[in-house]
Amino acid sequence: MSNKNKTNRADGINRREFIKIGSGGALLLAGGSLGINAFASPKNSTPNILLIITDQQHIDTVAAGGCRYVRTPALDQLKNRGFSFDQSHSTNPVCSPARSSIFTGRTTSETGVYVNGRSVRSDIPNLGQWFSQETDYETVYAGKWHVPKSYTHFIPGFNVLHTGISGQGNLGDTCASRACEGFLRNRSSSRPFFMVASFLQPHDICEWLRLNTHNPDRLRYPELADKLPPLPDNFEFDPREPDYIKQTRLGRDPVKGNWSKQQWQFYLWSYYRHIEMVDGEIGRLLQALQDTGNDRDTLILLTSDHGEGLGHHQMVRKSSPYDEAMKVPLFVSWPGHIPENKTDTTHLVSGLDIMPTLCEYTGIKPPKKMRGKSLRPLLEGNSVPWHPCVFTELNGNRARVVRTEHYKYITYVNETVEQLFDMQADPGETKNLAASSKHASALAEHKKLLIDWESRLDVAPNLPHADAWWRKG
Amino acid sequence: MAKTKRTIVGSPLTPTMLEELGAIGELPLRSDDFDPDGNWVNTYRVWICHGYRESGNEEVGHLRIERTSGKSGKSFTLKVDQQIVNYEGALHSVHAGIRCLNNRLASPVRWGLTSSFIGPDGKRRRELGTEEKVQIKADAIEVETDRRTFKRKGSTQLTSDWCLFDAVQRLAFEQDSSLTFDVLEGLSLLRQGHHLSYRGLYPININGKDLSLHWFSQLGHGLLPYDYWLDEHHRLLMAITLSRAYILDDKAPARTKLIAETQRRLFQQRQETNKGGKSK
Repeated sequence: MSNKNKTNRADGINRREFIKIGSGGALLLAGGSLGINAFASPKNSTPNILLIITDQQHIDTVAAGGCRYVRTPALDQLKNRGFSFDQSHSTNPVCSPARSSIFTGRTTSETGVYVNGRSVRSDIPNLGQWFSQETDYETVYAGKWHVPKSYTHFIPGFNVLHTGISGQGNLGDTCASRACEGFLRNRSSSRPFFMVASFLQPHDICEWLRLNTHNPDRLRYPELADKLPPLPDNFEFDPREPDYIKQTRLGRDPVKGNWSKQQWQFYLWSYYRHIEMVDGEIGRLLQALQDTGNDRDTLILLTSDHGEGLGHHQMVRKSSPYDEAMKVPLFVSWPGHIPENKTDTTHLVSGLDIMPTLCEYTGIKPPKKMRGKSLRPLLEGNSVPWHPCVFTELNGNRARVVRTEHYKYITYVNETVEQLFDMQADPGETKNLAASSKHASALAEHKKLLIDWESRLDVAPNLPHADAWWRKG
Repeated sequence: MAKTKRTIVGSPLTPTMLEELGAIGELPLRSDDFDPDGNWVNTYRVWICHGYRESGNEEVGHLRIERTSGKSGKSFTLKVDQQIVNYEGALHSVHAGIRCLNNRLASPVRWGLTSSFIGPDGKRRRELGTEEKVQIKADAIEVETDRRTFKRKGSTQLTSDWCLFDAVQRLAFEQDSSLTFDVLEGLSLLRQGHHLSYRGLYPININGKDLSLHWFSQLGHGLLPYDYWLDEHHRLLMAITLSRAYILDDKAPARTKLIAETQRRLFQQRQETNKGGKSK
């Protein structure tokens, strides 16, 4: 990719010129002597960017968001000092696919990352490549990548801080946050930074599941008996679900181990401890930003690749079309620029919106064919036309989900059963209305939305089931 | 090629499970002269399990703790050296010297800590290292780093995960033997509301020898449960938290070095191969 043209700002000036002619000019002239605070941003300047990604974080796992079973001071801080989205969705509730969308702004059928362990199509740039090409940002990456390798020394467009251990979030995340802390404390560059801190937790719940599959005779720690969280309201599931979901559930640990309700509750308790572990690592980064005087000059965006079953519909892990796996936290903060302690409960957003958002805040145009939109107008309280829906694809390109304000429609490859949920009357997704004549028009409307969306995609070559989706479209 | 079938472990890691998985190896079982209140060195290998019996379980580093008693008896010093091998042979090291009160929690009152990194090329990455000097003042933590001093939230019942490796060795093997505290994990992350208590005897056969270990468990916020197993001389043989085990092993530091070097060599070979492939 060419590195010549760094002029792609909407106003036609490049970043360096922007700083020179703006009120940041004096800072630039002072050069390196200002050290870490050289980019102490004046109000209208562009911010440093810290993109924090957690792995497998259920949306309702933040104390400040109302979760009563965790202590999350760092996540609370991010939520309270910024803007959060309650209707934030993964583009594909599996690690690699979801990450491919976060980093490219493209759907997973376009990036070609329809299952774990695949690379993004070479003609689609990632955020690091785009920022390296279009801005003067120093781009650094710590932690999990997984597009395709979980951990690698080579991530296009990024200086990689070698930290992380595959499948061991607790130890590896500490190494990652320590490296990020060191980077922040030691840097003397006058360039702004774009840092990705990609933590593996709470994904270690997968290790927990493999080490707790067998239902024990009694609770391993009896003193926890009266401290275990209750099961979710939608713990039971509809036996007439599509085979895709049935098979997913059958392959999971609770079915294999014939779990008691208490074992389910112990799993919930344990998952919340994983959340608290990653909260500590996030706290280390926030502390380092504060100590180095970068806290007011840094836009922080936190999200997760996908959610976690957490007992809803008796599911664990990911890959399901239900909200527990599809919805993810999304917090954005930049003191003085983005309102504090605001929650957007209505706009439907997804991982596709992250790249356009970060591009807009850094004053550059995003790459072509963005499927999402910049969140900036929503973050700054401006009224703009917004997506009427978000789309989610499922592992192996085997299902599609259309979510509108009122409904969620799910359709599968080679399945006769479709699902339609009234998300206002039944947010727990317990009553499938797809066969109800009363909802026939809603069903038809959502099918049409899907057809229109499919027709606009530039799908990757050799995508499995591409013909089936094309036929449906 | 057909995928190799893997069997999930299915049950939590315990000394018995570690033995089954071949993780214990040559556990040093002779500690007749061990005095938890005296001067000692305990070195552990850090072993992780990915939840399968056949593959993916590996040693990733070591933790060495050296205790030196203070002359007055009011305090003692713990010297901590932890090295963790990250992917492609990158190495993260933490060294700390901790002055602890000689109380039940081994409360840390003053310490210096360095965190440093070596990349897969074997070179130190100075730009990622940090150093801090810390003092506990009442319930606040005063941290000196970057030539500046910062105050952090502390606790009146503070200990650290590394200090607990000492404290647990000085507890009586009795049903009501317990501690209540907040943990400063890695001497930096505050984890609140912890309770450590005695669970009882744990019979096991290791390397053909029948032993009765003494088992303690620790529960609280911010961490998964920690379980500790001690021998009859109060020496901590093993600690386990979910998929990570600390197993007493004097030879662990030499192996950490070897693991890191081997991974770096493999990484560099792959790099060379890739370069060769590209030049063709």
